[in-house]
Amino acid sequence: MSIIQEMSEFLQKGRAKNVKVLVQQALDEGIDPKEILNEGLLSGMMIVGTKFKNNEVFVPEVLVAARAMNAGLTVLEPRLVEVGNEPVGKAVIGTVQGDLHDIGKNLVVMMLKGAGFEIHDLGVDVEADAFIEKAEEVGADVICMSALLTTTMPNMQTCIDRLKEKNLRDKYIVMVGGAPVNENFANQIGADYYTPDAATAAEVAKQAVLSK
Amino acid sequence: MLRQRLRWQSRQFCQNRNMKVTDFTVKINKKNVFSQIDCYEDSPVYDEVDREYHEIIEQIYEKIDARALLEFGDISDYDVSEYGDGITEALFCIVTVGGKISEWITGLFEQGEYVKAMLADAAVDDYLFQMENQLKEKIIQMCRQAKRGVIRRLEAPQDIDMSVQKKALEVTNAEQEIGLTVKESYMYSPVKTVCQVFLLDDKAEEYRIEHDCSKCPNVQCKMRNIPGIPIEVVSSQGARTVMNKTGQSLMETFRKEGIFVDAVCGGNGICGKCKVQMLEGNLIPSKSDRIFFHEIELEKGYRLACTAYPERPCKIALEIRDEEAAFDILSEYEGMKTEEGGQPKENETSRWGIAVDIGTTTIVMQLVDIENKLVMDTCSVINHQRDYGADVISRIKASNFGKKRELRESIRRDLKQGLASLPLNGRKIEQMVIAANTTMVHLLMGYSCMTLGVLPFQPVNIKEIHTDYAALFSESSYEFPIVILPGISTFVGGDIVSGLYACDFDRRDEVSILIDLGTNGEMAIGNKERILTASAAAGPAFEGGNIACGTGSIQGAICGVKIEDGEVLIQTIGSAPPTGICGTGVIDSVYELLKNEVVDETGRMQEEYSETGFRLAKRSDEAEIVVNQKDVREIQLAKSAVRAGVETLIAEYGIDYENISRIYIAGGFGYKLNIAKAIGIGLLPQNFSGEIIAIGNSSLKGAVKYLMEDKKERMQEIVSRATEVNLSGSKDFQRFYVDYMWFESSGLSK
Repeated sequence: MSIIQEMSEFLQKGRAKNVKVLVQQALDEGIDPKEILNEGLLSGMMIVGTKFKNNEVFVPEVLVAARAMNAGLTVLEPRLVEVGNEPVGKAVIGTVQGDLHDIGKNLVVMMLKGAGFEIHDLGVDVEADAFIEKAEEVGADVICMSALLTTTMPNMQTCIDRLKEKNLRDKYIVMVGGAPVNENFANQIGADYYTPDAATAAEVAKQAVLSK
Repeated sequence: MLRQRLRWQSRQFCQNRNMKVTDFTVKINKKNVFSQIDCYEDSPVYDEVDREYHEIIEQIYEKIDARALLEFGDISDYDVSEYGDGITEALFCIVTVGGKISEWITGLFEQGEYVKAMLADAAVDDYLFQMENQLKEKIIQMCRQAKRGVIRRLEAPQDIDMSVQKKALEVTNAEQEIGLTVKESYMYSPVKTVCQVFLLDDKAEEYRIEHDCSKCPNVQCKMRNIPGIPIEVVSSQGARTVMNKTGQSLMETFRKEGIFVDAVCGGNGICGKCKVQMLEGNLIPSKSDRIFFHEIELEKGYRLACTAYPERPCKIALEIRDEEAAFDILSEYEGMKTEEGGQPKENETSRWGIAVDIGTTTIVMQLVDIENKLVMDTCSVINHQRDYGADVISRIKASNFGKKRELRESIRRDLKQGLASLPLNGRKIEQMVIAANTTMVHLLMGYSCMTLGVLPFQPVNIKEIHTDYAALFSESSYEFPIVILPGISTFVGGDIVSGLYACDFDRRDEVSILIDLGTNGEMAIGNKERILTASAAAGPAFEGGNIACGTGSIQGAICGVKIEDGEVLIQTIGSAPPTGICGTGVIDSVYELLKNEVVDETGRMQEEYSETGFRLAKRSDEAEIVVNQKDVREIQLAKSAVRAGVETLIAEYGIDYENISRIYIAGGFGYKLNIAKAIGIGLLPQNFSGEIIAIGNSSLKGAVKYLMEDKKERMQEIVSRATEVNLSGSKDFQRFYVDYMWFESSGLSK
């Protein structure tokens, strides 16, 4: 098994230490940091994501895998900067105003990272304008909003309306998710995508950015 | 209004009772925390998560700054009239764990310590929850002293406007007292803070201080606990009322209440089998309902139980009649009754044993006179694990989803029920022998099924298991040793080993083939020298699954079809009015359709039937029972999988049909199979000169034989001689699979 494959396997099992060691070893062997990132780390995370979506693995497995990915990234990141690696895209994410539930949102953060995104996580209780300001500031591609309460779902609409008012709607891909949200609601408020789970969110975001 | 104000002023004593509570003694409930993040003991990463939990738990306690503030105040600026007239007073309560812990958790998350972050977050929620519980006593005490009762507990935003959070902050003076602030959105900072408002009344002696989950918009909350909505369920056994919790599907409620509903797909809205009818009430059709039902049927109130989330009381008819009674379980044991026929008699030499076949659908048990080689009695019970899905994959999934214990309990209950219906009184049982597929054994033993469903599909244990009643059932109604027969792999289990043993594979020079027709078509070829086994995913078509009008082998299922001079003749189980088509009926239909050229050899239906399907019969409710294009395709896929598996094994074995002496067809379904028609559709080879023998439940037969025989090591010998051929990795299989997809027209003349 190649070192890259081995790295991916360890990542899927959530073995952070092994992943870290292998990333260093791969760098020492002169393997392209981009290849390490894409083939060793991100591809492994995608496999975990797909399994998660198919109910083959559950939240804890995703957590340990994401942690292993992050461990690898800490070693790899300085070298990625050196070679000028660009992220797949930039995403601004948060739980909408009035809502403090963030487990689902955090899973999406992990999966987006695993898909190669640069993430700007605004946390919980995020005002509509705060999403937009951050997106403008960092030059984001995607705005992701989460809500867990039926009472806070309308705040997604507020953000989209504010984007329209500012003539910025077409500049961003807007994605929404959370337990009470569904496809109909997403269409109704004029969001671009609704995804039912974190793994799909990452897949869809990646595709949307690449075909933009 | 004036009167009320006067009343308020006359009750000055309700104010200035400011109470600050800091002496909480909370022990975080680890089980709650783990279940919040879906982590159960059988998770492959449980130990890892557990370790992380122990690493951080002390720090969580250290960083939590638990405080609560309670104060009486005026609520008259809010409209709370829906809870009672003239309510002006409230007790405001703020509970917080402070800001340090939240910052720490955010930091953990940013560092990529996801496991720790999620655990800490769930632990803090549990802590907050327990704080609320501990405050209850203080709240009641305060209200009692003030001579007030509690009418209701309100929480924003579901019960009252969010701005009440600001009001509570002011009333309790929380900014000065504990440094709490409120944002424009009326959310608190620190974020892990909750606010409750208790509406007071001086007449009430009651203290209704519990959280009302039914109003809470967080429908997926793991702690959600509500009595639910009454649903009247009508079946042939009469009516009963069950409580359906919000956010819970009818199917889930039925399962909890022990009401049997067919669910081939395990309740995912895919198979369309869990059909119920709304008699009273209203339920908006789900997406799946719209796929499975016509407009007329929807109007009649047809819904799938697995996608029905009633929010109001309603009355529901279980369309599927009680399957316990209707199931025609194929368990006839014709092999070893008395020589001269008639009822077997016991005598003083009799020694007793019990043989058990745990099938995915049905469990069959027999009381055996070991000494005189007689089967004294047989009983069959439904495997109630069916409630969690029809096939092994959905059971594995259910087990992995935290239902492991329930599945084990279910099978134990079924086995005990079986034992109770055998005439065991006064008879000393020397041994019980169980034959079952690998998944059933795992569920019975309480093993984790995590590794069964994923590559490389490793079982926890497939060796022969020697245990006893007390150990297996965790109780001691009986005392006898139990043997669970060994398996070959995850896919070829003890039921097949038992079948091979029943057919004496390990005794013969001539080569035989055994095919167990079921959802997993297991098969084997061999003799006393060498045995090859395999399993092909045939799908549930042979058992009536995935077939539009398909059904199990229940009363009224069409089991035979003949088309003569353009007229369709059908035969049903129990000669009852037709209700659907069972496996043998599907095979018969496809055969007849081929013969009458309604379906061509590629499996395509004539155009005039391609939309509507070919009509076989009408049900009593006027619905038509048809075989459609998709059904034919399902049968094509199923039969080519089995046939290709057999052909692959023959090729691997390096033999041809001429040198094969027998083909055994096993399985409850195989027992009733019309062999000529099975050959006709290409499921079995034509021009086979040897014998084709339908042997019924070979797994049970093997278990009976094991009880009677002295050479107990034969099972182990079979296992050691058997090798599994992995069909999914076989090029031959792929080729055969495509080859046998079509129908061989020449087979029809037979």
